[in-house]
Amino acid sequence: MFNQFGSTSETLSKASAVVLRIGTDAHLYDDPEDVNIAPLLDSKFESEKCEALKRLLALIAQGFDVSNFFPQVVKNVASQSSEVKKLVYLYLLQYAEKRPNEALLSINYFQKDLGDPNPLVRAWALRTMAGIRLHVIAPLALAAVSKCARDPAVYVRKCAANALPKLHDLRLEEHAPAIEEIVGILLNDHSPGVVGAAAAAFTSICPNNFELIRKNYKKLCQILPDVEEWGQILLIGILLRYVVARHGLVRESLMLSLHGMDSNGFCEKDGLVRDLTLDKEDGGKSDSFDVNLVNVVSKCYIEGPDEYLSRSSCPDTVTSAFDSKETTSIAHNEDVKILLQCTSPLLWSNNSAVVLAAAGVQWIMAPLEDVKKIVKPLLFLLRSSSASKYVVLCNILVFAKAAPSLFAPHFENFFICSSDAYQVKAHKLEMLSLIATASSITSILREFDDYIKDPDRRFAADTIAAIGLCAKRLPTIPTTCLDGLLALVRQESFAGDPESVDGEAGVLVQAVMSIQTIIERDPDSHDKVIIQLFRSLDSIKVAAARATIIWMVGVYCSLGPIIPRMLTTLTKYLAWSFKSEASETKLQILNTTAKVLISAKVDDFQMLKRIMVYMLELGECDLSYDIRDRTRFLKKLLSCKLASNEPTEDSVASQENIAVHVVEHVFGRKLKPFTPVALNDRFYLPGSLSQIVLHAAPGYEPLPKPCSFVFEEHDQLSDLDRQREAGAELDGSQESSETGDEDGSSDYDTESSVGSEFSSDDNERKVSNDASDPAAPLIQISDTSVSADQEELRSKRALDLWLDDQPSTSNQTPSAVNSNQSSYAKISIGDIGSRVKPKSYSLLDPGNGSGLKVDYAFLSEVSTVSPLHVCVEVLFENSSGEPILDVNLEDEESMKVADSSEQTLVGKANASYNNVPTLIPLEEISCLEPRQSAKRLIQVRFHHHLLPMRLTLHYNGKKVPVKLRPDLGYLVKPFSMSIEEFLATESRLPGMFEYSRRCTFDDHVKDSRMENGKDKFLSICECITLKVLSNSNLHLVSVDLPVANTLEDATGLRLRFGSKILSSEIPLLITITVQGKCTEVLNLTVKINCEETVFGLNLLNRIANFMVEPSSLTS
Amino acid sequence: MLQCIFLLSDSGEVMLEKQLTGHRVDRSICAWFWDQSLSQGDSFKSLPVIASPTHYLFQIVRDGITFLACSQVEMPPLMAIEFLCRVADVLSDYLGGVNEDLIKDNFIIVYELLDEMIDNGFPLTTEPSILREMIAPPNLVSKMLSVVTGNASNVSDTLPSGAGSCVPWRPTDPKYSSNEVYVDLVEEMDAIVNRDGELVKCEIYGEVQMNSQLTGFPDLTLSFANPSILEDMRFHPCVRFRPWESHQVLSFVPPDGEFKLMSYRVKKLKNTPVYVKPQITSDSGTCRVSVLVGIRSDPGKAIESITLSFQLPHCVSSADLSSNHGTVTILSNKTCTWTIGRIPKDKTPCLSGTLALETGLERLHVFPTFKLGFKIMGIALSGLRIEKLDLQTLPPRLYKGFRAQTRAGEFDVRL
Repeated sequence: MFNQFGSTSETLSKASAVVLRIGTDAHLYDDPEDVNIAPLLDSKFESEKCEALKRLLALIAQGFDVSNFFPQVVKNVASQSSEVKKLVYLYLLQYAEKRPNEALLSINYFQKDLGDPNPLVRAWALRTMAGIRLHVIAPLALAAVSKCARDPAVYVRKCAANALPKLHDLRLEEHAPAIEEIVGILLNDHSPGVVGAAAAAFTSICPNNFELIRKNYKKLCQILPDVEEWGQILLIGILLRYVVARHGLVRESLMLSLHGMDSNGFCEKDGLVRDLTLDKEDGGKSDSFDVNLVNVVSKCYIEGPDEYLSRSSCPDTVTSAFDSKETTSIAHNEDVKILLQCTSPLLWSNNSAVVLAAAGVQWIMAPLEDVKKIVKPLLFLLRSSSASKYVVLCNILVFAKAAPSLFAPHFENFFICSSDAYQVKAHKLEMLSLIATASSITSILREFDDYIKDPDRRFAADTIAAIGLCAKRLPTIPTTCLDGLLALVRQESFAGDPESVDGEAGVLVQAVMSIQTIIERDPDSHDKVIIQLFRSLDSIKVAAARATIIWMVGVYCSLGPIIPRMLTTLTKYLAWSFKSEASETKLQILNTTAKVLISAKVDDFQMLKRIMVYMLELGECDLSYDIRDRTRFLKKLLSCKLASNEPTEDSVASQENIAVHVVEHVFGRKLKPFTPVALNDRFYLPGSLSQIVLHAAPGYEPLPKPCSFVFEEHDQLSDLDRQREAGAELDGSQESSETGDEDGSSDYDTESSVGSEFSSDDNERKVSNDASDPAAPLIQISDTSVSADQEELRSKRALDLWLDDQPSTSNQTPSAVNSNQSSYAKISIGDIGSRVKPKSYSLLDPGNGSGLKVDYAFLSEVSTVSPLHVCVEVLFENSSGEPILDVNLEDEESMKVADSSEQTLVGKANASYNNVPTLIPLEEISCLEPRQSAKRLIQVRFHHHLLPMRLTLHYNGKKVPVKLRPDLGYLVKPFSMSIEEFLATESRLPGMFEYSRRCTFDDHVKDSRMENGKDKFLSICECITLKVLSNSNLHLVSVDLPVANTLEDATGLRLRFGSKILSSEIPLLITITVQGKCTEVLNLTVKINCEETVFGLNLLNRIANFMVEPSSLTS
Repeated sequence: MLQCIFLLSDSGEVMLEKQLTGHRVDRSICAWFWDQSLSQGDSFKSLPVIASPTHYLFQIVRDGITFLACSQVEMPPLMAIEFLCRVADVLSDYLGGVNEDLIKDNFIIVYELLDEMIDNGFPLTTEPSILREMIAPPNLVSKMLSVVTGNASNVSDTLPSGAGSCVPWRPTDPKYSSNEVYVDLVEEMDAIVNRDGELVKCEIYGEVQMNSQLTGFPDLTLSFANPSILEDMRFHPCVRFRPWESHQVLSFVPPDGEFKLMSYRVKKLKNTPVYVKPQITSDSGTCRVSVLVGIRSDPGKAIESITLSFQLPHCVSSADLSSNHGTVTILSNKTCTWTIGRIPKDKTPCLSGTLALETGLERLHVFPTFKLGFKIMGIALSGLRIEKLDLQTLPPRLYKGFRAQTRAGEFDVRL
């Protein structure tokens, strides 16, 4: 055993590694499953639980699915140990979505933890609860978040802010206003840490809710330097978007000031935007700012490049200036000034993302002369990690494209280090070729000269391309460049067999192409270079390079005095080498020979023609079908040329010959001058992901439209009032317009709010209809928002007066806030109570009870004993052949058969009522004859609104345990209230006290089939009401229908029910909104407003369930 | 916002995945990523932002470990990258480096740290000193304890006081018996010497690193004798902008322990302490190399651990290099390192030898770049001098210490 140690150094190091790993979790990661995890989870030792959880996490980390342990893990959520708790939370978040039912079990513990005095525990509970992505608990989570948003601990508030996007992500449309409200609260927090997190929430939830920002704008600007770095990044973006939406772009900024620039590149500082149609040639040449590009950039920022580029297919529309109304001036605008002031010190931030975000603001908003201060901080970012270096460079490139002069003096920063990654090198090269000026070009070229000798040949090739670009931009340098490039071509072609060395071919090709780009600018003065290139053809082996040179032969065949004389020799050489060429070169040879032939002089013509014919023959039997194809094409095309003997004769003699024209056109064309600026660059906002990947990433939004957010400064009203007015105004206008055309659009009566007298004769038909059926409900058109001043609004004069009124003086009731902005018809339904049949449940079926059948139904009466009791009607029926004696129902607990688990669960909540008996016993039935039935009334107090009550049924001396299940619908009592009261209460219960669910409803479908004569809306209303009232104990407050609806469309039909929770007297409001066509299955949105969230939520589920289930009773 | 973070080992194994939001990211994305990086090589690995078919990926590589983050929506890419860098920093601080074994051994701590550092894809607590209070770093004592007793929680029960204060980088009331504060100027010299032997670029990137162990809530001011030489600077969040803007004084409430107070750059230096004179001649398939290294301008302190490394070009088939001082090693990937150490007084270190080119090549047409490394203790080559460090309320027994050092950063000498 000992000789294992020390035998080699390898085993020693292994041994030491083992020692080092003692005490870590290494063994858990390596073999997470070497013990049985399940019993560990149930262990009573925290350390064993901890180990088990660690093993589970190890499995998760390695990508295994261990969700089958969920129930056991969830149990441990109650652990006191913080580590166990933390690990359980980590596990829960991983699987909660998969196991929703078990996850719900943990909710109680979170609720408890949310009240913990330790902020860390509260924060953890909140984070986990919000992270469990279940719709069912979303209202609870929202309530928790809103509570934590007011927590004294900053950390908890911060977690609350982070939790908001999680809830938003669940797409709870109903809760969106509540969530946005909390965002507003958190943005207004006095702690910078919270504001940062709130900024993140704002960005992902409601990035365009500028109202929230407006309220806090100054404060947000002031707090910005103290916000944590991550929050700063997003907050800067938010503030920028706000300012643009509110005030538009700044006239003095780089984005706009160039509109007023004259062709010399100087900016006019008069601040007025003039719609000058700039001479584009001059603008393009201007070194300091590329006017066209700046325009494109600013347009792209506002509109998004995809939209912009698709709209402006021709660059002429580029110069369309921004409307001067949409701009602002920094001198007069305080908001812009503050923004620039508070972001400029952030250019010194340690976090490169912050620096870039701040630089982006300055770039877009700062006056032209101040933009240069972003340059140095940006360049300093290039010294940070290699990953961020790349991203920063991408952004600098965009800045430099629009304003090369900003970076031109700092060209040394872009010199390349050997440690740079390839992409960084490529970008630096592009930078250098962009910003090179006449003064810096010599140093830059010297650098380039070094780069060409770099072992990375791809980089060397890029350098050569960059040289070409530089030479094109700066007319003074081509000669030096060309000499160098030619030397390179010569050297490369002599450097042995280039194919063997990887990348060498690329360098050569690039060199030839760069030479070509330089020549292109001014071919006449470079004919010597062209000749040199032709001469080197023999030594250049790379097909692509050869093809390029051969192409040049064709293009420049008539240039200068010498080249035309070389042509016969050249074409002879090409014909000779044709067989051994690569196919791309062959194609080029064919083309070139054709071009040469077209422009040939008389004395060469015969010779060239023969060469052409020879080449066509060769080409026709080539292996590659591309070449055969091309050959045949050329043969047909050139047939006229080949037939003739004189090159010039044709054009003169046979004017009519179209073929000649075609040939001339195809091969005789001169090169067009190369367009210098490629305008189809894509620009996205600085610092955005889209700018790096060069397409609009999902969620990318350009800057908002300038001045799209309008806010009247002189308006002193609070936002709530404004909103209210907006709603009221809309109501009013709609109402007034509606009074005009109501006869056409609405089949219902317009009445005064009392609804007793009919005002117009047109409605007679309807009236008689109504009158003939006294039980049929009346439908009244009224505005739900109308309250005390209703009468006043009704009179036309008063309405006019009110419309003319200044918004600030109008006093609207709060009920207008939540109302939809349209008028509603009030539908009153006749007494439906008679048709309500409470649903009965079976307590004991005759099979089990030897013939005794016991059913029960909940009654709507309110108990006389205590508010906690519910009246239940029990129906005993003897279906056997013999009489049943001594039937009685007793509480199990009263017989001291306490169920401990239930006890603990119910526990403290009802402690105060513990002295009240749970069951008010019924009168014993001494004898129940066959076929006889007896009704008894019992009053029950349920321990919990979901748990069944255990009772014992006595009969014939036997004891049978039965379960009495509570019906949530009867744990509330009707609460009679008016619509105004309802709306007022509803407005007091917003946000977390409001939750809703969707369900479908189809009872009315068969109903309406049965009674065809009846109004469809009425039957729907009745069906719904009946269904609701048959299943729960509520008061129908009102039924509203939007008057604009057509006959088929029931969308907007709204039923309101009022109730109070039995035990606590807390009001609970239910609103059912209908969506869909009358004759089809309807979609209902059931909304509950109640302070008691858990109860309300359960009731909501209950309602949604019974609305869906098919109706058992037929009316 | 970020959706998921993966930690990949240098062999492409997914060591750890941490889902951040409800939108789970399948780990098959890692397989895609690794396939791509194998097929596309280095240029893919150095690409920090990648648009994969399903997600946008952000990657940084630290000591062979790839930190990969995924997102599906627009977000500032630098934010993701900076955050990943911060994660890597914190992990290497906690674990004493990052490598496959360390991460696997301490995966629970890594998990807990990640959970604390990011919430729902948005960074939560990234301040190292606060994190240390929330999650205890693994140390020998806790390891022993866990071996002996079987349980040792590394999760703190209480919220660090700093997590909520207006100076989130500092715990509210640390107590020390002796109050100490150390200031280090750590500078790196970046230089480029071109093939003509000309100094194209020479600048200093420096950091002011501090280690403060002060009781209570100290308010410090640090001033330089010659702040005007600073070309660019970036500050720790604790530094107040106003005093710097008005009279270039650093005023701040320091975090507890070690931190980087600021970084700066001094440009356009005229001289380097060390010169490198490479020479290469190639003829008929062999090259003769000779490199001289010596002191150009004596900084007054000893120049230590001088190294010179370069990558032999691909076309070199074999190399025979030797030196008159120090050791020369050539690795299998053709990286040649010459470790010189200190320059001896009596002779100039010289590396010489021959390179044999691949058959068919007459002369060398690509040339390597030499990377120079050195270290000088006790001096800041930029010439930046600290004038004084003041505390607003002087604690008893205060000890202040100042140090400086310069080393080579990106020091390229082209041949």
